Amino acid sequence: MAFIGLEAEKYDRIYQDRDLFRRIIGYFKNYKKKIIAITLLLTISSLIHAILPILITIAINSLEISTNIENFIIIILIMLSFNFLGFLINYFQQIKTSEAIGNVILDIRKDANNSVLNHDLSFFDQNPSGKIVSRINTDSQDFGRTMELLMEVISSCFVVVVFTIIMFFLNIFLSFIFMIIIPSFFIVAILFMKAARRRTILGQRAIASVNAFVKETYSGIQIAKTFSQEEKLFKEFEQVNNQSYKVNLKRAFLFNIIFPSLGIIQAFVLVLLIYFGGIDILKGTISIGNLNLFIQGTWLLTFPLFTIAAFWPQLQAGLASAERIFALIDTNPKVIQTDNIKPTKLKGKIEFKNLTFEYEEDKKVFENFSLTINPGESIAIVGHTGAGKSSLANLLARFYEFQAGDILIDDISIRQFDLSKYRKKIGIIPQTPFLWADTIENNIKYCCKNAEKEDITNALNQTGGAEWIEDLPNGLETYIRERGSLLSMGQRQLTVFSRVLLENPSILILDEATASIDPFTETRIQEALEKIMKGRTSIIIAHRLWTIRHVDRIIVLDHGKIVEEGNHQALISKGGIYANLYNTYFRHQSLDYIEKVRDL
Amino acid sequence: MAKLDKNFKKDYLVEFSIDGAHSFHIKNKKPSRWILAHILHGSNKIYISIVLVTTIIAAMLSSALMIVVGEAINSFILENDTSLLFYVILILSLGISAPLMRIGNFMLREILAQRLERDARKEFYINLLGKSQSFHDQQKIGDLMARTTNDVRMLNYLVSPALSLIIESFTSLIIPLIFILMFYPSQLVLVPSIFIFTFLIALRSYIKKIGPVTEKMRANFGEMNIILNESISGISLIKSTVQEAQEKHKYLMKIKAYRDAFVEQGRIQAKYIPILLLALMNTISLTHSIILFSHGSITVGQIIGYLGLLSQFRFPIFISFFVFSIIKLAGAGAKRLLEIMNKKTEIDENLEGKSKDITGNIKFENVSFCYPKSKNKILQNISFEIRSGETLALVGTTGSGKTTLTKLITRLYDVTNGKILIDGLDVRNYALKSLRSQVSYIEQDVFLFSNHIIDNISFGKKSSFEEVIKVAKLAQAHEFISSLPNGYQSEIGERGIQLSGGERQRIALARAFLVDPRILILDDSTSAIDSKTEDEIQKAINNIQKNRTTIIITHRLSQIRWADLIIVLKRGKIIAQGTHEYLIENSPEYRKIFIKKFDLDEEKLKTRGRI
Ligand SMILES: Nc1ncnc2c1ncn2[C@@H]1O[C@H](COP(=O)(O)OP(=O)(O)OP(=O)(O)O)[C@@H](O)[C@H]1O
Ligand SMILES: Nc1ncnc2c1ncn2[C@@H]1O[C@H](COP(=O)(O)OP(=O)(O)OP(=O)(O)O)[C@@H](O)[C@H]1O
Ligand SMILES: [Mg+2]
Ligand SMILES: [Mg+2]
Repeated sequence: MAFIGLEAEKYDRIYQDRDLFRRIIGYFKNYKKKIIAITLLLTISSLIHAILPILITIAINSLEISTNIENFIIIILIMLSFNFLGFLINYFQQIKTSEAIGNVILDIRKDANNSVLNHDLSFFDQNPSGKIVSRINTDSQDFGRTMELLMEVISSCFVVVVFTIIMFFLNIFLSFIFMIIIPSFFIVAILFMKAARRRTILGQRAIASVNAFVKETYSGIQIAKTFSQEEKLFKEFEQVNNQSYKVNLKRAFLFNIIFPSLGIIQAFVLVLLIYFGGIDILKGTISIGNLNLFIQGTWLLTFPLFTIAAFWPQLQAGLASAERIFALIDTNPKVIQTDNIKPTKLKGKIEFKNLTFEYEEDKKVFENFSLTINPGESIAIVGHTGAGKSSLANLLARFYEFQAGDILIDDISIRQFDLSKYRKKIGIIPQTPFLWADTIENNIKYCCKNAEKEDITNALNQTGGAEWIEDLPNGLETYIRERGSLLSMGQRQLTVFSRVLLENPSILILDEATASIDPFTETRIQEALEKIMKGRTSIIIAHRLWTIRHVDRIIVLDHGKIVEEGNHQALISKGGIYANLYNTYFRHQSLDYIEKVRDL
Repeated sequence: MAKLDKNFKKDYLVEFSIDGAHSFHIKNKKPSRWILAHILHGSNKIYISIVLVTTIIAAMLSSALMIVVGEAINSFILENDTSLLFYVILILSLGISAPLMRIGNFMLREILAQRLERDARKEFYINLLGKSQSFHDQQKIGDLMARTTNDVRMLNYLVSPALSLIIESFTSLIIPLIFILMFYPSQLVLVPSIFIFTFLIALRSYIKKIGPVTEKMRANFGEMNIILNESISGISLIKSTVQEAQEKHKYLMKIKAYRDAFVEQGRIQAKYIPILLLALMNTISLTHSIILFSHGSITVGQIIGYLGLLSQFRFPIFISFFVFSIIKLAGAGAKRLLEIMNKKTEIDENLEGKSKDITGNIKFENVSFCYPKSKNKILQNISFEIRSGETLALVGTTGSGKTTLTKLITRLYDVTNGKILIDGLDVRNYALKSLRSQVSYIEQDVFLFSNHIIDNISFGKKSSFEEVIKVAKLAQAHEFISSLPNGYQSEIGERGIQLSGGERQRIALARAFLVDPRILILDDSTSAIDSKTEDEIQKAINNIQKNRTTIIITHRLSQIRWADLIIVLKRGKIIAQGTHEYLIENSPEYRKIFIKKFDLDEEKLKTRGRI
């Protein structure tokens, strides 16, 4: 099962915490002003937080001495005004914080998405899209949550520091007792740290597996139905879902143990304070108000200290998310341009020079492959399935990087071209047509946003007429869902065909572009195609040999090697592999042969 | 499902269900009730009661601790040193027992939360498996994914921490009040009571404001998933047409919308009044207790205990701040789940229907069909009959309805008018599983799972390795599979992306051959395969075809020629049907398919047809 895996992705890597922090800080740098403002506001509000209990202490202490009402009124008034001031500052700080964090998440998502879109296809062959999506969208969210926490931690630190300083002024011995709380909180937290990060990563991978699995189910639901295998899918789903349950439960257990254990520490400190404080009171060396401040301190500082201590494991979770995203951002695409030559117009000469190519190790598709295609020439590539025909198209489109040799376009190495400028000059109809969940019109003009209605009808006419579109409920406006699955197969191919024609490329590659189109429509396309191919280099890949009789040259490919080439006539008279293929094919359509085949 | 009474059944058709799996959404249409049904089901009931009780006890222990601390200080003031040890022990045991109780409480709560996530996802998933194809036609995969993972996860957060925190915080609102009444002058309860009252009012208005924003965030998140999913599945198109910038921009718009909602949420949270109320209450109640002290009605120790009790309020105040967002999110998530689950679908598994071995007579009686939600008649008045073991060939221009016609046989869709009979029985009267398991369908748009090759071939039926190899050989796939580094164990990527087009089709052929169906439907299933390989496959099909009803859609004459019945479709109508000989002579439309292609003229064809 591909899904059950909790293993790391190929591109995952381990970062030093230092590097992670540097990267994270890098993202916050863009919002320097906000960060400064936030820090300032946080400092003030922490001061207020720390001063209030001191005012209470003063009030209680003075209870023992006198009952001067005026003093109380002043203290109360100060407290009230601090209450309001604290609220106001908190208000501004919150707003700034959410702005800063919102923007950082935005930036990270943007970077991750940009980097993913820049990958070549080998990356997508290996990484299920469900997992990539989960990484970009969900992990960034987890990361954001951690950053919110970070802000709280900063403010908590202020409170703790201010409060501690004051306590030391009041009573050094009790302060030391109180201080026990801090290291013990941290020891507990750090003990949790390692396990927390590991479990979080596992938890995230488990949920990513669920994501990938359900995606497959929903895309393949029709197959599940026709084979009546819902139950099988369900069983597999139970496995991934239960796995996610187990892994995440373990993770949650760990995270939930931390708070109560801190509570236990807190209880011990409280007892010590009461014991030694009690002795001091009995001896008269400490005032009640001051002892109260210490006791209140264990509660007042609970939240800040909890936040700080719990922050470590949570930070680990956030760092784990950051690590996953950065790994995605930092993986380099294999296809890279070595120069940025921007072709204005391609003449269309293509030369494969001793090319070696493999998708995965030890499965060479081409070895020492050489072929030259002249500008404006139309060639056809034929051969058994899996011979490497589509792979040639993939290489020309720079979807994959080749291992050795070179591909020259107009005598310049394909690696030197500016990728996007170059791809614009190549029009490719892939074997599996892809369409967006959008209207037909938007699909056709996907690459030429400004195309007029006229151009669209024109392109459609060249591909056998637009009658079929008129039959649809909303014509060109018909919504066709993901991959165009609301259209018939042939209609999808026609739509893709029109899209490429509108692009008006210098080099045209048709990979089984009409395989699912009925012969009648196909003949009409054929006529238009002959006109279109004039003046541009075209490569046609087809099993229906009838459609390629008119090309300038036919290349017969066998296991990545050229075994024959020449035009139709020459190859037929040669009587080799092509002639054989053609005869088999033609026999299929020849009545004479078919009449005989029954007896075989 | 089978247990449901008839009335429910009519509204809740599903194509698939699991015995013993719960479908709480059927009886609980409201999100809250649905969630409750999950939380209260089975052993969860016991867990939640334990969680409730321990939460209350823990809150009481914490409050009692405050009182004891106040009493201890009082006795120190009275210079009563014998009580010191007693208080130390009491405080220690109170202070430790609360956290210990919480550990147990949290663990149970976590189990509940994770179970809720698991079970709700399961219910949702099963429900989606049971929805008809026409339902799935209308969905966006990215959106369904977001619902299955993220919305369901929100339910988890609902229990842990949200619900349990709410229980905890409301007990820590009430218990201190009770303790104040029990141990201190009763007028001290006044300020805290007013505070709780105003807090609840402020909280209400806060929740009202935060709700819509939270829902907006959820929806935005769903859209982010949709966009990203789409651009990844269309990545090769994006690259070949150099539209990366546009796709980046699309995603950017969505994440910006999300950011805006996030900031808006921050703004609303910043205006969280209860924080101010809490601070004011602290000051005012201090004043109040000092006044009482000056009248001599309470001691300093009691003031300290009182302030300690009030500090318990901090917890509910800070928790409510974010907990209600979680609840809103979970509510919104549950709503989104229920919205999908309660959508009606057309097709029902028909458990009471017949399960029987079919022989394979197929009869269409005046069948018309429109896809649900569209008025266009895709098929009109289709009638024909083929007997068991015969072959039907469908031909016709692109979009004429060939694929659609075959989908009706396995009830991927139900006919709009007319009926389809198999062995004289309406397909709707078969148990769906029985029907579908005897019909094998090789789809035009091959879909493979990102599994190992062997799992893909044996998808329709569990089978031995030998059997798999046997059908792979029949489909001419054995040779190329063996040449892969990992053979039958090779992984093939999403949708089989790592295979060539012809290789994918051959795996689909093998997959269909393996189930050994009574009715075999081949929809253009050799379009990407070269003629030589096809020849071999054709031989295999010919062998398999014997004693099976076969429906083929193809443009290759060799396959059409010997069909027992050929139907020519045009815009959803049968414009001609009969054998090859008959059609060549009588149907100009049929002739048209072959004429141009082979530069034969019509006359010649006519005479040949007669041979
Ligand atoms: N993305 C990929 N990753 C790994 N291997 C691949 C990938 N795409 C194709 N292959 C393998 O490379 C070989 C050549 O495939 P290619 O798609 O070029 O064949 P083809 O000649 O186009 O065949 P067809 O006529 O069936 O389309 C095949 O053996 C195939 O399994
Ligand atoms: N799921 C769907 N929802 C709505 N309309 C659909 C759906 N699938 C197909 N159609 C429409 O129904 C009509 C018939 O489609 P169908 O797939 O049956 O054609 P076909 O004869 O198989 O064509 P092809 O030879 O191109 O495969 C087309 O106009 C198509 O747009
Ligand atoms: Mg190919
Ligand atoms: Mg079709």
